Amino acid sequence: MRRLLGGVTLVGLLAGLVLGFGIAPRESTQGNVQRIMYLHVPSVWVAYLAFGVVLVASIAYLVRRAESADRLAHASAEVGVLFTGLTIATGSIWGKPTWGTWWTWDARLTSVSILFVMYLGYLLLRGMIDDRERGARFAAVLGIIAAFNIPLVHFSVYWWRTLHQPPSLMKPGPGTMPGIIVAALLVNFAAFTLLYVYFVTTRARLLRLETEAEA
Amino acid sequence: MPDNWGFVLAAYGLAAIVLIAYWRFLSRRGKELEDATAIRHDLRQPSRAAETGQPQPNPASRRPSP
Repeated sequence: MRRLLGGVTLVGLLAGLVLGFGIAPRESTQGNVQRIMYLHVPSVWVAYLAFGVVLVASIAYLVRRAESADRLAHASAEVGVLFTGLTIATGSIWGKPTWGTWWTWDARLTSVSILFVMYLGYLLLRGMIDDRERGARFAAVLGIIAAFNIPLVHFSVYWWRTLHQPPSLMKPGPGTMPGIIVAALLVNFAAFTLLYVYFVTTRARLLRLETEAEA
Repeated sequence: MPDNWGFVLAAYGLAAIVLIAYWRFLSRRGKELEDATAIRHDLRQPSRAAETGQPQPNPASRRPSP
């Protein structure tokens, strides 16, 4: 089953690349550098999704004390940190030719960096506490608190004056992008979501095997 | 505006390296844990066989691992 999921994910990623580079047109204002969007925006979507799952799984763990919920939260946080790091790095690479700088302390970039550091802290906290049950409990609390930063990241472009543009897709109301660009973006969204599911299910399985090996 | 293909390649190249590295980490760790589980299972088998009175395999008949 996992192999099938891996295969479908790979096909999805390849389709996303073909659409993003071969079919979607060159953007008139930014030129071809805008194609970084097909990587950057799905990455931040996966980060939101991953940390949303951490929130739900953490609440489930605190209510039911199910180890499977704790493993899901752990795995999802790890994958979320990976994709948040990718979001920051690809955004920085995109920012240099379009804004003229690799980095600026505007509200979106700062809030997403805080998100990254908070979940990095979440993973470090898990590693620091030897008592598994206690570590899981503390991590669940941090996983819930850190999730409050997600709306702050998303709406920061509306609440403060930022260099970062407002969302083009993940917003209410009609879109302004051409259909083919939206289609390419949606295929990449789907492929990255599949990649997230593949990574999280694999990581959660490894965490279960690690627990069994230690027992 | 110039196309800045170098930045596009840098972004996609970096993402490919990071994602492939994480996938390889998961694959290797999975293999290690599966091997450890198999060894633990093998070690438990003879003692369980002794408990149930079943005949145990002759260790001399085992082929050395390459």
